[in-house]
Amino acid sequence: MRDIRYIVIYVILVIAHIIMNNFFDLARYFLICVLPVLIIMLPSRVNVLWAMVIAFVTGFVVDFFSTGLLGLTSLALVPVALAIQPLTLLILGGEQMARGEDVTFTRAGISRIALSCLFACSLYFIIYVWADSAGTVGFWSALLRIFLSVVLSTPLCVVVAKLLRPL
Amino acid sequence: MQQNGTPKAGLAVAAVFIVLEIAALSMLKSSSVLQNIWLNRFSHNVMALTWGGVSRLKDYTSLRHQNDILAGRNFELYKELSRYQDEEEQARSQALLDSVPGSRRFSFIPAEVTAMGTNTRHNYIILNKGSQDGVTPNSAIITPHGVVGIVQIVDKRYSYGLSLLNDKIVVSARIGREGIVAPLSWDGKNTKSAVLKNIPFHHKVAEGDTVLTSGMSSLYPPDIPIGITMGSRIVDGASNVVDVDLFLDFAALRYVIIAENKDRETIEELAR
Repeated sequence: MRDIRYIVIYVILVIAHIIMNNFFDLARYFLICVLPVLIIMLPSRVNVLWAMVIAFVTGFVVDFFSTGLLGLTSLALVPVALAIQPLTLLILGGEQMARGEDVTFTRAGISRIALSCLFACSLYFIIYVWADSAGTVGFWSALLRIFLSVVLSTPLCVVVAKLLRPL
Repeated sequence: MQQNGTPKAGLAVAAVFIVLEIAALSMLKSSSVLQNIWLNRFSHNVMALTWGGVSRLKDYTSLRHQNDILAGRNFELYKELSRYQDEEEQARSQALLDSVPGSRRFSFIPAEVTAMGTNTRHNYIILNKGSQDGVTPNSAIITPHGVVGIVQIVDKRYSYGLSLLNDKIVVSARIGREGIVAPLSWDGKNTKSAVLKNIPFHHKVAEGDTVLTSGMSSLYPPDIPIGITMGSRIVDGASNVVDVDLFLDFAALRYVIIAENKDRETIEELAR
């Protein structure tokens, strides 16, 4: 039941992301993206391999239906999926992770969730902005864009994490 | 989240990650010209770095082979250098022979000083030519700049001689080309001076005259410059002794000529 809820919210958020990409053209200055949190909050029985495949497909769908570059979101989202294990270890600790417990807001606490969202968003935006600018933007401009994107997206990711797995 | 602790699972994760990233990059490359150029440039840089590294590694591993080649080349160059040095040596010897005042009575053999003493009263000299080179005892040892000594003992490959810096050696010398003839011998003071003895009291010798071999012995060719006269003094109230400053620097001596008088035996026979 919890998984169905997760899948529904996942799909809704992906569609929302596509719509936002198509209608709010602010990507030149900053990006708002909740996809990293969707990946790191995947159910615990989904292993890293499948998480990477899900991340790739999600990125492909987003890019395909958006006006952006095909492959860009996948390129940035797959490394986030690869980093799931260390992030889960950060959120839950080794013992709960060994028991295969899902990451929930109550179990992990806001600070750990926020920290993992920060890491996931940083990783995602570094790759995204780096590949998107393709060497045409200066280092400090790119850094500013990454910083703004992380600052704006991380709180949103925390909210989404609470929405996805409150308990 | 399920853990993938085994190495096999780790490899599978790495492989899937690489495949997915390559797929994403391929899509990105084909969807934008800018990204296409950027990725091409990036891949070229990576390739250049890789091939550069491989090339450096190859160079490093082939150093031993290169060293062998260089050692071989070094050996060849050394042989060539030796050949040139031999040729130069022969040319120098020939020049040395040509510079000696010629005489049909004498045969000359160039030689190199192997060892020489200068700090006793009976100094010797050893040369690198012996009987197999045609050297015979009682041959003169000279240079274009003076008399060196006389060969005393001859080995197959080396010769032992007494140098002028030996109080047993007496050379028949002349002051100037047409001056008085007198015996010259080492004064035992230093390697640059000798004395002319038995010069008649009435015979005045000017300072700065050249002293040459007289040619009046069966040993030394005539007119080899020996030195210049310095001061003179009366000895025993009967004769003059003239100090001679030698041209030859025994300390720097390396190449000499062994001169053999072909008519020596005949002359000595007649002198008896």
